Amino acid sequence: MRYLLFVPLVLFVALAQVATASYFPLLGVTANPLLVVLMCWAIVRGPRETMVLIPLAGTFKDLISSDPVGVSVLALLPIVPLAATRERWPTESDFLPTLAVVAMASLCYHLLYMMVLTAVGDGPPWLQGSIRVILPAALFNTLLTPIFYLPVRWATTLSEMVRPSMRVPI
Amino acid sequence: MRTLVWLLVVGLFALLAILLSQLGALDPLKNGALTVASPLERGLRTVASPAADFLDNAADRQDLEEENRLLRQQIEELTAEIASLKESEFTATDLAGLAEVEESRPGDQFLVARVIARDPSNLKERLAIDRGSDDGVAEGMVVMSQGQSLVGLISKVLDDFAWVTLITDTNSNVNAMVLESRAQGVVSGSLHGGLSMDLIPQDAKVEPGDTVTTSGLGGNLPQALLIGQVAAVRGEAQDVFRKAEVEPAASLSRLENVLVLTSFIATHLASP
Repeated sequence: MRYLLFVPLVLFVALAQVATASYFPLLGVTANPLLVVLMCWAIVRGPRETMVLIPLAGTFKDLISSDPVGVSVLALLPIVPLAATRERWPTESDFLPTLAVVAMASLCYHLLYMMVLTAVGDGPPWLQGSIRVILPAALFNTLLTPIFYLPVRWATTLSEMVRPSMRVPI
Repeated sequence: MRTLVWLLVVGLFALLAILLSQLGALDPLKNGALTVASPLERGLRTVASPAADFLDNAADRQDLEEENRLLRQQIEELTAEIASLKESEFTATDLAGLAEVEESRPGDQFLVARVIARDPSNLKERLAIDRGSDDGVAEGMVVMSQGQSLVGLISKVLDDFAWVTLITDTNSNVNAMVLESRAQGVVSGSLHGGLSMDLIPQDAKVEPGDTVTTSGLGGNLPQALLIGQVAAVRGEAQDVFRKAEVEPAASLSRLENVLVLTSFIATHLASP
């Protein structure tokens, strides 16, 4: 339960994303650090903890953005099955698979997001959205992954040195 | 199995929340969250803005950047002034319809609002301002930049905050006209923050550099409000309509403060 101490940190990432992401565009899109942090967390520490963090962080982000509450929670859901799938295919290093999984999570996020927006009558053009937003955003989020992956990895390694990991498979 | 149950439960919770949100039941909660978060967001934006400028420009070009910003603001103000003067010229040459509309807006009243957040989704062009229904802001009100060009419309109002849908949003359509030729069309937003003017009659004379303003058609926007300038004109001779790319007059990605036009009452015309 000690990971709950990091909840404010995750909420801060959501807050920083809403407040400042538009200042740092790349390829015409802004990054989704919340998605990247949660995905790295799920890969490094197992998906169980993110099952608590996703509803909290997603709801908070929607409350302070123009989205209907629940959209981000729904769009972040694929993180858990993606991380669970990744766990079944262990590799020597987590880093490269994390990049691939972040790209996948980013694609799923935007697809679900666009589906909800379309359902509530606020949808963008799908073809344009796919080419101009979904793919560049997946690339941007993947490029951003090392910035968040390494601190999560180091923090986990450090905590395991102090106390052996209690990672429980789901 | 456990993952599946979690997915179902959280998925249903999210769908229920979306439904409640659409019905406006969660608006007080959103207002409360923004009240708590807005000072922090403002602080983060204050820190991020120079950081973004630094990344955009090399450190030794900061003076140039400042000068550029001031010049852009001046250009925007002067273009708005030119648009206003040209409009006056048309009014003076006995365009009674225009004069009527001009005279129906004797004194515009503005409310200054600070931008506190911007939608981070990439799929919507919206920003949050620190004024809400308690300050007299209402849905459909016109939002302008400090240079008095069109920024967007209020699309969602909470007690102390409001969300502005920018003219560059994909769902934004504004009846517009090219000031020089009086050609009318519809300015629409697109992903990546661009603007395009569609439905321009084939025989209309439209050239790069022409000024695009609101036409006032439909009654939901005032007339002769600066939108931007024509950057390029597209379309073949056989096309029924032509299309123009429009460069917004306001720097929409870096807005810090905006003006809400509270005196203009939108009229929604019903079909006869």
